[in-house]
Amino acid sequence: MTLTARRPKSHGALEASLDDAAQRPAVRYEARHITKAFGGALALSDVSVAFEPGEIHTLCGENGAGKSTLLKVMAGIHQPDDGEIVLGGETLHALTPRSAQLRGIYLVPQEPTLMANLSALENLFVGILPRGRLRFTVDWKQMERSAGEFFSQVGLEIDPREPASTLSIAQQQLLECARALAHRCNIIFFDEPTSPLTAREADVLFAVMRQLRERQFTLGFISHRLDEVLEISDRITVLRDSRLVTEMTAAGASRDAIVSAMVGHDIAQRQRPHREISTQPTVLELRGLSHPPEFSDVSFTVGRGEVVGLAGLVGSGRTEIAEAIFGLRPSQGTVLLDGKPFAHRSPHRSVVAGLIYLPEDRGHNGVFANVQLTRNITAAVIPKLQRAGPLLLPAEEREMAERAAERTRVVAPSLEAPMSSLSGGNQQRAMFSRWLLAQPRVAIFDEPTRGVDVGAKEDIYKIIDEISASGIAVLMISSELEELVFVCDRVIAIYEGRPVAEVVGDEITLERLGTLIVGEQAK
Amino acid sequence: MATWARWGTVSVAVEKQARPRSERRFGTDRRWVFSLVFILVVELLFFNFAVSSFWGGGWGSSVSMLGDGENFLFTSMIALGVMFVIFAGDIDLSVGAMSGFAGVMMAEFHLGGMNIWVAVVLAVAIAALIGLIQGLIITYFKLESLLVTLAGWFILQSAALAWEGAVPPYGFPKHFDSLLGTGTVAGTVPNQLVIFAILALLATLIVHRTRFGRQLVLVGHNRDAAGYAGVRVSVTRIRAFVLSATFAGIAGMCIAATYSTADDNLGPTLLLPAITAVVLGGVDIFGGAGLVPGVIVASFILGWLTPGLLQDGVSDTWASIAIGVLLLGSLTVKGITDRRQGVSMLDRLRARSATATPGAPPPAPDAT
Repeated sequence: MTLTARRPKSHGALEASLDDAAQRPAVRYEARHITKAFGGALALSDVSVAFEPGEIHTLCGENGAGKSTLLKVMAGIHQPDDGEIVLGGETLHALTPRSAQLRGIYLVPQEPTLMANLSALENLFVGILPRGRLRFTVDWKQMERSAGEFFSQVGLEIDPREPASTLSIAQQQLLECARALAHRCNIIFFDEPTSPLTAREADVLFAVMRQLRERQFTLGFISHRLDEVLEISDRITVLRDSRLVTEMTAAGASRDAIVSAMVGHDIAQRQRPHREISTQPTVLELRGLSHPPEFSDVSFTVGRGEVVGLAGLVGSGRTEIAEAIFGLRPSQGTVLLDGKPFAHRSPHRSVVAGLIYLPEDRGHNGVFANVQLTRNITAAVIPKLQRAGPLLLPAEEREMAERAAERTRVVAPSLEAPMSSLSGGNQQRAMFSRWLLAQPRVAIFDEPTRGVDVGAKEDIYKIIDEISASGIAVLMISSELEELVFVCDRVIAIYEGRPVAEVVGDEITLERLGTLIVGEQAK
Repeated sequence: MATWARWGTVSVAVEKQARPRSERRFGTDRRWVFSLVFILVVELLFFNFAVSSFWGGGWGSSVSMLGDGENFLFTSMIALGVMFVIFAGDIDLSVGAMSGFAGVMMAEFHLGGMNIWVAVVLAVAIAALIGLIQGLIITYFKLESLLVTLAGWFILQSAALAWEGAVPPYGFPKHFDSLLGTGTVAGTVPNQLVIFAILALLATLIVHRTRFGRQLVLVGHNRDAAGYAGVRVSVTRIRAFVLSATFAGIAGMCIAATYSTADDNLGPTLLLPAITAVVLGGVDIFGGAGLVPGVIVASFILGWLTPGLLQDGVSDTWASIAIGVLLLGSLTVKGITDRRQGVSMLDRLRARSATATPGAPPPAPDAT
């Protein structure tokens, strides 16, 4: 190897990408009859979507409808169980994130996945670092020269040497776009890029997206904000419960059409059961609970047998508030249980005091995947298990778990089956049975129906009803507003870490909550 | 249960389906123990024919291979101790050095005029205290157990060396050497085997039949989920370190009694064989799975393998290679069978590093 040896190829690739004329040809990218399941839970069922060049194609749907999964399948992150992916007439097999990028497909993920300690520059070129004079060195000058071009294409004004961790979320997303351009990708998917952004920041992103549309890029987009969906999309596809419901052009789309397709006929018909509003003695009370910047000055009460909902966008501080009550994170302010201050909270002390928390991320924080169902169910009551001397009595434990499983209608091969062999819905039922064994006075349920199928959802609503009917105070967090409308006696809307409104009884409607959680005060 | 009484009607829950995949995790663990027993039997049969001194004078006879227990039983004791820590998903590299340090402590106390048994109890208690301190440092400052106990290893080994000075302390009462070391019960069963049997029974009951054991396994399996379920994760982990240090301390007493001297330099000779026994025994190196009887059987397989091969005329080097091959081969087989059951080590590695636990739903497929 000579010292002057260069690899023209790497430079060629880089320079070519700077030149619009050398851009990859505009191409249609299709998913055909894609089916994908995780464990027992179906995420996509026979979904076909075509993304056309020069179009922004938006996927709409409720949480768990399969939008992200579809984009991840198309970006090579998940392998489909069935169906095919077709790029400009060519069927792609065994797509990986790397091979997808080499074919020009880039997914800007929900949460930016930049390497926080590397500079913006390094993040931009990671995977395609230009080589220097020596083949094993990096040509930093070349990188800096071309970086400015990519940054300006996405309107990013930053010091390329700053570590990525110093960038705001909005800047990180723009950097992801710049990275897609640097990698010569012309099919770019945006998985809910705007949910952590302010309206202004979102506008900047939309400007970039429109510009890419002008250049005949193939663009996919996910958002829950219907206004912006209608504003930016050329085509809208609605998914519900892992299936494609309808596809419409922007011209033919309306807010109502999208919502009714998303929610589906059956749920639209479901009426909120009228509940008597009666004042019950307060069990849980928060006084000025704060932990800036996540949440501040949160005060509310939950009464005996009452179901209080916390509505808010992701990042509004809902989960953080719940975790602070449960003692998982520090906070100022007071939590009162039955009128008595509950200080020095920890999960253990909370459980002992009768305050339980069903976490949002069941996979990481809830289940013990390879442990028997029995032990998953009794995990929270280990100190209370029956014993002979110091030794546990397996038969008694089993019986206890079986009774608890029956209460929540867990369907499992056997009580000794590992948790991972259960479907999402049954795992969640088992989680409920775990917490009911703890005989709580206050139950906090964070996204209790996430990742469960429709039938299990209905069951979980019923379980929550039964729990509150038995006198337990329930605090419920959900991203699905319909769910809050259906289940709650009272809903507290959280916006940017503060409670902005409280809605009671029949005043709880989708429209009301929808406006409150985006920070628009209802008249 | 009063709250339940008010609930509405409830239908049948646990559907008894076919059982093929049902008890897979637990089932593979049990099968592993049986496999180990089989390996042990094959090993003993082989040596029965290959080694002339196999039976010798029976247990406790210095000429029989079978009675050679005192050469490895303290390693088995240390394996039982470090097993607790591994169950909890941590690692304790200080156990070997801890044994040496405890031995030197006991010897120095005794040579300083203390009654031998008071010295033994005190030394084991101080070892437990050091385990407690290591556990506290690891959990309070949220440090990696690997690094903290590595530091502990260096400190303990050097402290033992500094304390004993130029000449390792030696010369203990005969009854001590006999009781904890080379003595036998009724001339046949070595005392150390009795001590080990007691510790093994204790360890089995602690892990599989007590509240602490249950919490230990859950913490090792999924630390976050255990915390959310109200298990005191730090307390559980600290207890594991205390147990590990205590077992190492007891092993240290047995070593001192066997050789009638204290040795500061036990870390390297004891640590890796102990961890090997735990892993070969089927305990998940990442914690949260395994059966104690597996570790017990595995420690005998390994314990007899080296002396057996040596007496068969195989060199020390080849005996080590044999252990390596046995470990690699058996873990590969276990990995393959586990994967066929759907829980490969690779799966769990992946689950740990990035995405969700296998079988769990996709992590938050769509957030608002």
